[in-house]
Amino acid sequence: MAVFSLIIINKAGGLVYQREFQPGLRKLSTNDYLVLAGTFHGVHAITRSITPKLPLAAIPNPPITPTTATTPSPNIASPSSTSTPTPSSSSASAGGYTYPNPGVPATGLESLETDKFRLTCFQTLTGTKFLLFTEPTMANIDVVMKKIYELYADFVMKNPFYQLEMPVRCEAFDRNLQGWLRGRA
Amino acid sequence: MVVYSFYIFDRHAECIYKRRWLPRPVSTVGSKSSRPTSEASAPGLPATLGQSARTTDDDAKLIFGTVFSLRNMARKLGGEDDNFVTYRTSQYKLHYYETPTNIKFVMLTDLKSPSMRVALQQIYINLYVEYVVKNPLSPVEHPGGIGVNNELFEESLEQFVTRVLS
Repeated sequence: MAVFSLIIINKAGGLVYQREFQPGLRKLSTNDYLVLAGTFHGVHAITRSITPKLPLAAIPNPPITPTTATTPSPNIASPSSTSTPTPSSSSASAGGYTYPNPGVPATGLESLETDKFRLTCFQTLTGTKFLLFTEPTMANIDVVMKKIYELYADFVMKNPFYQLEMPVRCEAFDRNLQGWLRGRA
Repeated sequence: MVVYSFYIFDRHAECIYKRRWLPRPVSTVGSKSSRPTSEASAPGLPATLGQSARTTDDDAKLIFGTVFSLRNMARKLGGEDDNFVTYRTSQYKLHYYETPTNIKFVMLTDLKSPSMRVALQQIYINLYVEYVVKNPLSPVEHPGGIGVNNELFEESLEQFVTRVLS
């Protein structure tokens, strides 16, 4: 049950916060962390753009925009339709397509697993990304993430001296984060 | 579980094999364009697969860039012996396996699929090594993107994905 470290990336891909809680990952130089934040920001955008697009079968309605796809079409309702193909054999009409998980907007990378750690990424509505590095077996990461976001809102965003998009230097945030994670472990 | 696509990259970052599956096999069976594309530029394929703006070529490049960056990131943080295994978004999962000779196997599946590391390893051991590596006529390097152009491999991969994985 170890949370290794937390990284916060602003909406432009700049590193605004980096903190290690427990040893387990290799330490990088500040410059390397900046590079990592920028790289991740780019990769995150690419992972969204390479989402597989499934051509729509000939459905009676004209194709709708994929981000708001809610039509209960039998073809797009079940992504696992490999074994039960629809009888229609017409090719994709007018280039219409849908995402595998219609109704859910396509996001970028949400969680990444390696042999040694799991990286969970949470993107706020304003584009700030929270990267949490944990043990691969850790459960309930979303609870931790939610709490971190809450602490960020309370101690960083409500800090009148904090300048938006700039590195986070809030002692209260550090203290509370550390205290909460320690109390949890 | 659904497999969307499968890619092999060699150690020179060249995409030597790519194959995409549609969730509706009926519409592609019998049409010539559903054959696996090994050549770098298979005419007439991309437009029919619902990706009009970007071709499958560009997709392969984007996927390579992604797994390359993520793999380096995992190595930087986890140590040299760490391996990037999989990532998921809200729409799909990407599985990654790299052989000791730096051949990279990438597979995109739906979210419900379990870890495909063993499956990718099996594709490497039972299909790639058997049919491509042991084939005396198959080139070792693939300059210019000729890629794996091997009927036995393609057929058995097709079988593996349709029968074993689904």
